[in-house]
Amino acid sequence: MNRRETLKMAAVVLGGVLSESLSAAVMAGVSPSGKVSRQLFDASGRKTLEILAELIIPETDTPGAMAAGVPDFIEVMVSDWYTDTERNVFLEGLHELSEYCEKTYGKKINDCSNDEQVSALQWSEQESKKYPVKRSSPLSRTIDEDSPFFTKIKELTVLGYYTSEVGAKQELRYNPMPMKYDGNLNFSDVGRQWSY
Amino acid sequence: MNINTQFDAIVVGSGISGGWAAKELTEKGLKVLVLERGKPIEHGKDYKGEHMAPWDIPYRGKPLRELYKEEYSVQSNSYAFDETTRHFFNNDKQNPYVRDEKKPFEWFRADVLGGRSLLWARQVYRWSDLDFEANKKDGHGIDWPIRYKDIEPWYSYVEKFVGVSGAKLNLPQLPDGEFQPPMEMNVVEKAVKKGIDDNFSDRTMTIGRVAVQTEAKNGRGACHYCGPCQRGCSVGAYFSSHSSTLPAAEKTGNLTILSNSVVESLDYDAQEKRVSGVRVIDANTNEKTTYTSKLVFLCASTVGSTQILLNSRSETFPNGLANGSGALGRYLMDHTYRTNVVGLMPGYTDKYYSGNRPNGIYVPRFRNLNGQDEDADFLRGYGFQGSAARFDWRSMSNQVSGFGVDFKNAMRAPGSWFFYLAGFGEQLPRASNQLKLSETHLDRFGIPQVEFDAEFSANEDRMRLDMVKEGEKMLKAAGLAFVAGDPGKSVPGEAIHEMGTARMGNDSSEAVLNKWNQAHEVPNLFVTDGACMTSSSCVNPSLTYMALTARAVDYAVKQLKDGYI
Repeated sequence: MNRRETLKMAAVVLGGVLSESLSAAVMAGVSPSGKVSRQLFDASGRKTLEILAELIIPETDTPGAMAAGVPDFIEVMVSDWYTDTERNVFLEGLHELSEYCEKTYGKKINDCSNDEQVSALQWSEQESKKYPVKRSSPLSRTIDEDSPFFTKIKELTVLGYYTSEVGAKQELRYNPMPMKYDGNLNFSDVGRQWSY
Repeated sequence: MNINTQFDAIVVGSGISGGWAAKELTEKGLKVLVLERGKPIEHGKDYKGEHMAPWDIPYRGKPLRELYKEEYSVQSNSYAFDETTRHFFNNDKQNPYVRDEKKPFEWFRADVLGGRSLLWARQVYRWSDLDFEANKKDGHGIDWPIRYKDIEPWYSYVEKFVGVSGAKLNLPQLPDGEFQPPMEMNVVEKAVKKGIDDNFSDRTMTIGRVAVQTEAKNGRGACHYCGPCQRGCSVGAYFSSHSSTLPAAEKTGNLTILSNSVVESLDYDAQEKRVSGVRVIDANTNEKTTYTSKLVFLCASTVGSTQILLNSRSETFPNGLANGSGALGRYLMDHTYRTNVVGLMPGYTDKYYSGNRPNGIYVPRFRNLNGQDEDADFLRGYGFQGSAARFDWRSMSNQVSGFGVDFKNAMRAPGSWFFYLAGFGEQLPRASNQLKLSETHLDRFGIPQVEFDAEFSANEDRMRLDMVKEGEKMLKAAGLAFVAGDPGKSVPGEAIHEMGTARMGNDSSEAVLNKWNQAHEVPNLFVTDGACMTSSSCVNPSLTYMALTARAVDYAVKQLKDGYI
């Protein structure tokens, strides 16, 4: 191999390395531990996320959103994945919910009783219904950035939960290697829907 | 590292057609160079998304909007595009084309060895004489230089190697093939099929014919129903260049593959009337090399092959190589897309399915089969793909209001059954639908970018309305409720069945290629990908590209041995 060819090979190899690290950068903040690139929530904000996620999908005979790591996922999505518009809607919604609690119960949301927290989240859901749902076809990939806070936190909780290992395997059923197709299965044989 | 620059044959492109050309040429003893503009990848090893658990997918599968908008503005619209497959797709920023926002054409491209054979939806149907005679009968486009009998043995030949699963129907408009056992319809699909069969004497529904093996064969495994296939299939159950044709070609010892090799143009020797060289730019170093061979097979995709020919200008061919007819770049076609009919199936709530079947159902063409139907205000016809499934947590979560224990419990069982049909309609060949080289935009290699001027017209619009009308009729008759059809808005290119622009025909004054996919004016040049198509049928075209490629190689090698090339 002469010098020119060596350089050429090096360029090829380097090219590969560079693009790898680029894609790693793009995927930053998505490790299972939920490392985020910016700190949006302080300890009390984080606590609120945990409360709300667990209210949406609570522990029953299977683990709830907390045990499935949903609060980490929400933090990553709000911090890194959301657009500015979405992040503002989310943070303002969270703020309004806190204000509602202080006005109604004279307490911060984190200090409210479970019943009070449920009522507050119900209020948030009612508020969200004032917002006209934008029609989108099943084929469309458009995301409604302006959808209200409740819609957003519910979506994130649902996505985070059912795509988690806990949600996929313990709450729903997960079979990545089915080996065959059965188009006439009795639902009672699985008892839950497939997670994907 | 001295690379030989002289070969018996050069194949440009390594997708479905290029893979076949490489296999057939090497197996006939020729020393073959395959040039691929995309990155090299290895079967299995580079299928990064295969079997990836949902919790390991970045952002759990949500699109990286900023990145996609900036670098994958076209590709990210593909149903197959996400973080489990992005590494196979073209970067639109790096490799752009001129996209007219007002009159768009969507050009979906891979950027890896194996091309779109890794990403395709694998539906494979034979064309029939209804298709090969269509142009002649209604006067749109020119007559095909071949008929079904010319291609029939080649369909059989490729199907046996591809591994096609499907059911025989004995329909003249959709000839049966060499099938492995069909995949199974689910219980609701069977009910819909019965409804259609009972109510329409002229229609039926079948399981899709798909290039996914249901038996381990050809050194490849049987489908294990993990889905989604586009992430890659390391057992090789589905047909791709990586799983099938390239390994076969490699086994001969006659194959050289060069990835990252962008073909700029072909040199033409006016005296010998032959392609005398293939000009290649190394995508990483920009180094230029010219390779030579006795035969050149262009299999760079419909758009890619024609771009190379248009960019190969000489004194003899000032408007592009082999373009004495002026047909090069013209008669671009796709299928209509985005027309669908959906309905809900009452009951069957005790029934479910297991396994991700990489296939749906197919309703073969039933319009204008025996001449023009009296009530049809359009020419030619369409087919439907579709399937039945139950709503899953993703679609249900927006519908189930509230939160908490009740919400969680409501999400445990799947939702109601739905069934849908998606229409694929034939587009008439028209001279005005074309691709050109831009006079102002060059790519990073200095090659003129492609620009499109293509649209659907009234015949396709009327056909889409008929799909809705007839589709609704069928679904209602089959017992579905809340049936709703939507003609949609179809953009050319979206069906990813783009074809034409270097059509076949007997007359060299109207066609670029003869009946052997050989350029009329340049005997050692063959084009066997979608560019060769003279009309578009309504069935998926890939199988026909494969059969035409194998047939063309057989002819070319005989001609070469007999001293005619």
